[in-house]
Amino acid sequence: MKLDFSVIVGYLPMFGNGLLVTLEVTFCSLFFALLLSIPLSLCKISNIKPLQAFATFYTSIFRGVPILVQVFMMYFGIPLVTGLRFTAFAAGTIVFAMNSAAYISESMRGGILAIDRGQYEAAMALGVHYPAMMKDIILPQAIKSVLPSLINEFIGLLKNTTLIASIGLVDILRVGQLIQGATYRAFEPFFVISLFYYVLVMCLSYLGKVLERRVNKSDRG
Amino acid sequence: MIEVKNLYKSFGSLQVLRGLSLNVEDGQVVSVIGPSGSGKSTLLRSINLLEQPTYGEIWLDGKLITPPDPYLHFDVIRASNTYKKLKAAGGKSDEELIADIKKNDLLKKHEGSEYAAMLKDITGKNFQSTNEVREKVGMVFQHFNLFPHMTVLDNMIYAPTTVKKIPKDQAIERAKQLLDSVGMLEKIDVYPGTLSGGQKQRVAIARALCMEPEAVLFDEPTSALDPEMVKEVLDVIKKLATTGITMVLVTHEMGFAREVSDRICFLDQGILIEDAPPEVFFSTPKSERARIFLDKVL
Ligand SMILES: Nc1ncnc2c1ncn2[C@@H]1O[C@H](COP(=O)(O)OP(=O)(O)O)[C@@H](O)[C@H]1O
Ligand SMILES: [Mg+2]
Repeated sequence: MKLDFSVIVGYLPMFGNGLLVTLEVTFCSLFFALLLSIPLSLCKISNIKPLQAFATFYTSIFRGVPILVQVFMMYFGIPLVTGLRFTAFAAGTIVFAMNSAAYISESMRGGILAIDRGQYEAAMALGVHYPAMMKDIILPQAIKSVLPSLINEFIGLLKNTTLIASIGLVDILRVGQLIQGATYRAFEPFFVISLFYYVLVMCLSYLGKVLERRVNKSDRG
Repeated sequence: MIEVKNLYKSFGSLQVLRGLSLNVEDGQVVSVIGPSGSGKSTLLRSINLLEQPTYGEIWLDGKLITPPDPYLHFDVIRASNTYKKLKAAGGKSDEELIADIKKNDLLKKHEGSEYAAMLKDITGKNFQSTNEVREKVGMVFQHFNLFPHMTVLDNMIYAPTTVKKIPKDQAIERAKQLLDSVGMLEKIDVYPGTLSGGQKQRVAIARALCMEPEAVLFDEPTSALDPEMVKEVLDVIKKLATTGITMVLVTHEMGFAREVSDRICFLDQGILIEDAPPEVFFSTPKSERARIFLDKVL
């Protein structure tokens, strides 16, 4: 079979839309994952046992169940039990965000624990209360130290979003399947898609390396 | 101003402070010296409530800053169930009973309602919150502990603006004055990572002063510094000592302690062994242990 990339040209706008959906899901998920991971990581380092137990249980669920199963659960399973219906976009975003939050909160916990006791003590000696201390002194330093691993999570998330095609959302992968159905050509569309992902992930990896170097350079006070 | 009464502190089975009492008057400069591990840092950290005493009380400006220690109040001991039981058993005088209870640490957590009410009364009359304590007492650490993600200025004004709610422009004004007085004004916009150890410590001292404390605790402020930077920090502390602020200073710089202190407190194994004016302590130490220590460090 001869390769013919010209069949793709007509579908480029579709590819564009698919890419947009992929990026939308990725960024929305990442945003909510970050929001969620901060209280989760605070639970993990808290002295309050039930909070700790909750956060540990939360993380174990998302580690223990395959993401595709989680997606099906959120999209097909939960609506039947609760009556709450999600769009494919919402179901996917919720699952990806909750998933990433589990992983990000784990590295955030490490980042918080790596911060020198002296930072807490200096803050306390200045009369700074716990919430302000965490918000203004501990978390900014912890987040800075987890930025490189955040990039890795971002890459993982970007690739995981392809699972959303399985519940019918037209992301970039689904566009490929649609083209395959219409043209009976598989190599060309999936090659283009592979290229998209590869370039995107390489750019992100590079960004991660740069960030890592900058984080390592920063000095203690 | 600072009154430490019969302070005990243990970490697990390790007894670090063993019945330490100390009064620091308003405006006094007191240097605490002693071998490493003798409990000097633990003493300072207790005064600033970074540690909870195991027994004993600390008073600041006539107010109690730790939970009350029943063993320091005879009337509280007399109100305890344990005392009442022993008393009913008879055979011993009031003094003997109290001595017994103290010696053998017989008081339990719950000792009846009268006892609880008396402790609560002491707290209610005298208690000062952690926040008030931290506003009155500043602390300077061996390892500076500047916030690395904030500029020098932000390090200075963060606590005054967020804790004391001082208007920002006023806090900046004060920060500038203080930075000027420690010779660090030209570094106001840099991050701590670019400063030398001596510069960091000078900023840390200015940061503590930014809260306008009545007393400053220094925990070996020059021990982490390269030798050539020690003097610049000591000069700043010396200048501060003349302003009339109360200071408790843990240091290994004997010459400096002798020069600036009103009193020298010598600590060994968690016990205050000597408390004397510097000219007396350094020329004629009373205890053998102080003599041995001075022989080693001088
Ligand atoms: N948080 C802690 N947990 C356990 N042991 C501690 C703790 N803090 C201090 N210690 C121990 O208490 C002893 C006295 O410590 P410290 O007060 O720092 O002495 P100094 O400042 O005089 O050198 C040391 O043996 C130290 O290891
Ligand atoms: Mg020490």
